[in-house]
Amino acid sequence: MSNVLRPYLAAVRSTLTAALTLENFSSQVVERHNKPEVEVGGSKEVLLTPLTISRNENERVLIEPSVNSIRLSIKIKQADEIERILCHKFTRFMMQRAENFIVLRRKPVQGYDISFLITNTHSETMLKHKIVDFIIQFMEDVDREISEMKLSLNARARIVAESYLTAFNS
Amino acid sequence: MSVLAPIICDNGTGYSKVGFAGNSDPSFVFPTAIATRGSASQSSNAPAVPSKPGHLASKRGVEDLDFFIGDEALANAKTPGYGVYYPIRQGMIDNWDHMERYWEQTIFKYLRAEPEDHYFLLTEPPLNAPENREQTAEIFFESFNIKGLYIAVQAVLALAASWSSNRVTDRTLTGTVIDSGDGVTHVIPCAEGYVIGSAIKHIPIAGRDISQFVLNLMRERGEMTAVPPEDQLRVASKVKESYSYVCQDIVKEFRKYDADPYTYFQRYDGEHSVTGRKYSVDVGYERFLAPEIFFNPEILSSDFLTPLPEVVDETIRQSPIDVRRGLYKNIVLSGGSTMFQHFGQRLKRDLKQIVDRRLDDLATASGSSQKSSGVEVEVISHKRQRYAVWFGGSLLASLPEFYTSCHTKAQYDEIGPSICRRYQIFGSAT
Amino acid sequence: MILLEPHNVIIQTTLSEKITKPASVDVQFVDYDGVRFHLSTPERKSVLLLSMHIRCWDELVQYGAIDVLRREYGALLQPQPEPEYSVSLEIDLEQLPASPEDRDAFVMSIALFKRNALAAPFEHAFASQKGLESAATGSGELMQIHYRDEEAIYIQASHDRVTVIFSTVFRDETDRIYGKVFLQEFVDARRQPSIQNAPQVLYSNRDPPLEIRHLPDLRNTEDTGYVTFVLFPRHFGNATVASGTISHIQLFRDYLHYHIKCSKAYMHSRMRHRVAEFQKVLNRAKTEVATGEKKTVSGRTLVTR
Repeated sequence: MSNVLRPYLAAVRSTLTAALTLENFSSQVVERHNKPEVEVGGSKEVLLTPLTISRNENERVLIEPSVNSIRLSIKIKQADEIERILCHKFTRFMMQRAENFIVLRRKPVQGYDISFLITNTHSETMLKHKIVDFIIQFMEDVDREISEMKLSLNARARIVAESYLTAFNS
Repeated sequence: MSVLAPIICDNGTGYSKVGFAGNSDPSFVFPTAIATRGSASQSSNAPAVPSKPGHLASKRGVEDLDFFIGDEALANAKTPGYGVYYPIRQGMIDNWDHMERYWEQTIFKYLRAEPEDHYFLLTEPPLNAPENREQTAEIFFESFNIKGLYIAVQAVLALAASWSSNRVTDRTLTGTVIDSGDGVTHVIPCAEGYVIGSAIKHIPIAGRDISQFVLNLMRERGEMTAVPPEDQLRVASKVKESYSYVCQDIVKEFRKYDADPYTYFQRYDGEHSVTGRKYSVDVGYERFLAPEIFFNPEILSSDFLTPLPEVVDETIRQSPIDVRRGLYKNIVLSGGSTMFQHFGQRLKRDLKQIVDRRLDDLATASGSSQKSSGVEVEVISHKRQRYAVWFGGSLLASLPEFYTSCHTKAQYDEIGPSICRRYQIFGSAT
Repeated sequence: MILLEPHNVIIQTTLSEKITKPASVDVQFVDYDGVRFHLSTPERKSVLLLSMHIRCWDELVQYGAIDVLRREYGALLQPQPEPEYSVSLEIDLEQLPASPEDRDAFVMSIALFKRNALAAPFEHAFASQKGLESAATGSGELMQIHYRDEEAIYIQASHDRVTVIFSTVFRDETDRIYGKVFLQEFVDARRQPSIQNAPQVLYSNRDPPLEIRHLPDLRNTEDTGYVTFVLFPRHFGNATVASGTISHIQLFRDYLHYHIKCSKAYMHSRMRHRVAEFQKVLNRAKTEVATGEKKTVSGRTLVTR
């Protein structure tokens, strides 16, 4: 992890740990329903103040806590057209497999690239600090993966072009 | 023809059949095998390709283009550095990385088609998980940008293939499919184009077992001494393919052979694949004994003892009552291991006996004087049996309705891979 | 497989198969760029009829395709093509070269049917360059080959070079971006000392190059690009080099698209790997492991895949 990234991730980590204080909370509107309040948004009193942590204008995290669930949305760095398309591909590929990532939302919140929804069930069945670890690891790796993918795309393009043009020599 | 012919891709556990719609035979039939560079110790179901997505690997670049598929894969099996993998296990795709590259080379090297200009018809085994279908769609629409995709169940295509038989008058998609390939045999009931999943039965006897059985018989008789050991299994399967047939009565058949061995015993001539030395073997009882293991499995092993006709009968009786007549009336054969001569007749006779006996028993037990009008049993054999699934696909994809039943690229971009969960039956006359 | 092969594998395999064992056949298949083939035995088992439909046939004829094909195939070329197809060859299996090597070479030449048809305008251009060389000025006719619905090849000979321009259209957003990366590398790759001798490549997005700017039916949208190859006499100096260049440059578009698709496949496998890694991290968070196997009422075991 680069040193520039560290404070940003540390801020996310402590905010997320602090926000992950969830309890079982039945719906106040519909009997025998128990829904993530941050998604329903029906009763204002159970929602907490949303919080944005920005590293710069292109990279930010939105944390929306509520009494029984917390929604975390990430905007991933996209420097150019290639990174934009790769990031889009990658997040879509992952969200396509959201079934396996139980805390992953199938659609991102508007204005962000990927969203996670952690409910009290998750924090009860899973180790809280490990969930936080996962999110941090994801943020760390996703940037690296996208830049590596970009590099390898360029490298491939170079090889492909070279081998095409070399064939003219023969 | 303004649109180019759709591509039909039937990827089976053992062999892949690929070609263009409208033809009667697939353009290519080769093993579903891929030879990639990479240590052989890597377990094949791990995502082996970007083995080290570290900096070195990503900068080098195109190692993932260094692979062979099909027959070339097997030819390169011995080349140091290459390992052969089979991306499909028991009909289901096991290794998506390998499969994606397998398709890539199928399309670009063998079919030489620009996938953007074509519709594709793929096949899937019965009871395939919808997630698998979504992943397939993801590969085809995102990597290959194909125009449209239709994923059909193999059994349904086998039913469609039977429309080519002149014994079939109405184009129905109700029937029982006996699909016997190299690895496993399935008995699959279909009602109006939908598979009755709860009644599917598997039989652990298929092509490979028959070849092995032939080999054992010939070894016991001492025929195989002349054949080099590495060729023995190949010779056995050749013998099975060229000389075997299904007899009506095993005892009579033995007697016929003993009375007049010269007319019934055949000779098989082979040639050593390396040295070119010629050899020949006698082919005898295994001619009719080999396919007999479907009808009397006890001669092969003691693990599985139910004869094929009984399994078919059981399958149909587990299906909903209102389709059973349709299932008895339209039993369709598909796959290479159903190609034996008279296979259909024998199956029909045995099954008819089982059904008639049950009806008689019922009549006696009820003591009523009324008699059932009987159940019609019909087994359809046709010329295209070996690649029935592929042929059925070719048939369906040349219908004009095909294009409207396909999921198009535009729909995919709009909705996402989940469109492939829905699937539409077409082409049947009923 | 990095480079694509110029010959058609289906023709090659089917023909070799029929030579060893003549049988009636009736198949239709395709090649790149919407070329359709029909291989059949209309009269006897030993006489094969191979017909090809190619959408820019009229243009190719104009640039001498018939002559090229006649040179390659001689009497095999049928005066009257099969209906619905552009050109037909008749192959009599009883009059084949005797030796196996010649036979393979013959089969290969048939499998290059499409390549040879498309070679005509290139040969025409190479010839007219030779003619212009002595004049040391001026340029030949601008040939247009609309080989796909939205894309075309433009070829022009001038006194010291032959310019080949491909117009490319990417229908998909991802392809467009990948394509840009690739084409940029084509332009840059020539700086490498080892491939200085390769043709010069120019790429322009949206704006057509000067040579074809006057043409009326050019598209001028974001997803259109123009790739220019400048071939110098060393690329077509002698016959073998020229024919290699022709086979190679014809497949440029297919090569590009093939590699764009391969890259996407590669990205997919990387993503699969990465997602599996993330999955492992997340699984570490789970406290309880699924205990024991689940059974259904009838005693069968539930297996999760």
